[in-house]
Amino acid sequence: MVNVTEMTNWAVDLIDVRKTYGRSVHALRGVNIQVGAGEIFGLLGPNGAGKTTLVKIMMTVVRATRAYGTILGRPIGHRGKLAVTGYLPESHRFPGYLTGAQLLDYYAALAKVPRDRRRRRAPELLDRVGLTNWADARIDKYSKGMLQRLGIAQALMNDPELVVLDEPTDGLDPVGRRDVRELLADLRDKGTTIFLNSHLLSELEMVCDRVTILVDGLVARQGTLRELTDHTVEYKIAFTGDAASVHSTLASLGAKIEAGGKSGLVSIPGHNLSKVNETIDLLRSSGAMIESVSPHRFSLEDILVEAMGADANVGASHLPTENPASS
Amino acid sequence: MQFLALVLDSFRESLDRKIFWVMLFISLAVAGAMFCFSFEPNKVSILFGTWELETDFLTVGGKLREDIIAWIVVDGIMDTILGWVGVILALIATAGFLPSLMQRGTIDVMLSKPIARWQLFLGKYLGSMAFVGVHATIFVGLTFLVCGLRWGVWLPGYLLSIPLMVLLFSYLYCISVLVAIPSRSTVAAVLVTLGAWVFFAGIQITDDQFSTNESWQQYDTAYTASRVVRWIVPKTADITYKAKQWARAAGSADLVQQGGIDPDEATEWAEKIERKRSAIPAYYTIGSSLAFEAVVVLIAMWLFSRRDY
Repeated sequence: MVNVTEMTNWAVDLIDVRKTYGRSVHALRGVNIQVGAGEIFGLLGPNGAGKTTLVKIMMTVVRATRAYGTILGRPIGHRGKLAVTGYLPESHRFPGYLTGAQLLDYYAALAKVPRDRRRRRAPELLDRVGLTNWADARIDKYSKGMLQRLGIAQALMNDPELVVLDEPTDGLDPVGRRDVRELLADLRDKGTTIFLNSHLLSELEMVCDRVTILVDGLVARQGTLRELTDHTVEYKIAFTGDAASVHSTLASLGAKIEAGGKSGLVSIPGHNLSKVNETIDLLRSSGAMIESVSPHRFSLEDILVEAMGADANVGASHLPTENPASS
Repeated sequence: MQFLALVLDSFRESLDRKIFWVMLFISLAVAGAMFCFSFEPNKVSILFGTWELETDFLTVGGKLREDIIAWIVVDGIMDTILGWVGVILALIATAGFLPSLMQRGTIDVMLSKPIARWQLFLGKYLGSMAFVGVHATIFVGLTFLVCGLRWGVWLPGYLLSIPLMVLLFSYLYCISVLVAIPSRSTVAAVLVTLGAWVFFAGIQITDDQFSTNESWQQYDTAYTASRVVRWIVPKTADITYKAKQWARAAGSADLVQQGGIDPDEATEWAEKIERKRSAIPAYYTIGSSLAFEAVVVLIAMWLFSRRDY
């Protein structure tokens, strides 16, 4: 796990990235994202949030209307650094007339990987993604999952310092997803920075050190999973009996009450144990019996849904993202 | 390394297209058909003597016989099959190269490599040239060999039609890529290119009419316009004419003089056109067309480099 506070250098440091299509479609409205070297970073957000546009700007596929900052220490759009960057786009389309081995060799040649290294690396990676037996088969014979594995392999042919993966587990079965997670963990252990864009929140939750939630072209949340979930923990107290006499007092404490008949549930936002105990006391004083008290940490999905609903706060990153590279 | 990889990929892509094999089949079929014919005194032998056609058409010997065979090869085979059918098939075969590169999911990976966009564009462009060059070499090479080995007439100038036909293709292909970049459509690229080819030929014919027909020359403005446009656009008809001129031992005008062609068929106007086209220097025909191509390619390259994908 990368500690943000110890970070002295960012692999990706995006400052005020904007993209406007035509005159009125604002895909990105000033995005600031920092990714530490050697960490697995997740980008998530609803459809149309601007995630793919942001990734394409990083990979020079789309030109930003405005963008400051650096990627691997060079200005955004610098083509030279692409030699040490790997990329797997969403819905990629590889030439069906090539074999898997030919594709790896071709893309690696475009990435300026010397021939002897290509010849050594291709079988290694094909083996790593489980395609050794398919190395000489035409790509148009590959299944969707195999194409995805091949796509990941091509992104790693140049032994990149930064890997940008857009929906890397798309089309993979559970075993394939586990393999990808293990591969990502291995890469991180070797010091490779990984930038993930995925709709599969559970996948991101399992592998990412830090995440950013993009909503409507702006950063809505950014931080480590711990930081984000600490902000959104809540306690749920289940009770039986009639607690109507204390409803107003509980509401004044910020608790949400869902009462029905002779049972109910009180939710207390935040990590505030004294409030939890005060609520229990109130419930018991009203004659209600406490059935259970359980802390509930929000999942990434909960955070995303909350961020999507919090339009008024969009743009204000909830966590400090001090940027030593730009200061 | 990157450039070579791109050109190699274009060639692999062309091998995957059925039209590559259709073109190869046409080359082999034409060469094979030529091989089945032999020209002997007083007769033409077909399929190694299976059929024999009595004719005094080739009873003449020496230079004139060679000229007539050259005329059959150059005007009949090269001009029609290579200059028309071949170029149209090549345009159809290569028109899809750029749109397929620009497909979402393909272009993303390509642009994420450390290769400049202009290099990517140029690599694909030259890959198409290589594709056409290979086919032109196969076709001309085979027909050249059959002509020499089977008919005994060697036409070294005919080999020049390989680069000239690639040049002709390139003058048209630049239009194809210019259309393909904004439209991403293979069909649009082919149709507009064929339309442009007709337009270029039309301009040259119109200008020929103006310059050889005195009654037309009273329309000063139209005459000037045709000359200016002809100066700008690729000289597709002229380049074909140059290829034919260099390929055969003698021009058709000479054949008329020597009695190889019925003088009634060679009108005065046709002779004027022959003389006019013969007088146009090759460097002007090729150079001005290349200048047009360079401008169009630069515009296409700029569009390719500037757009978002």
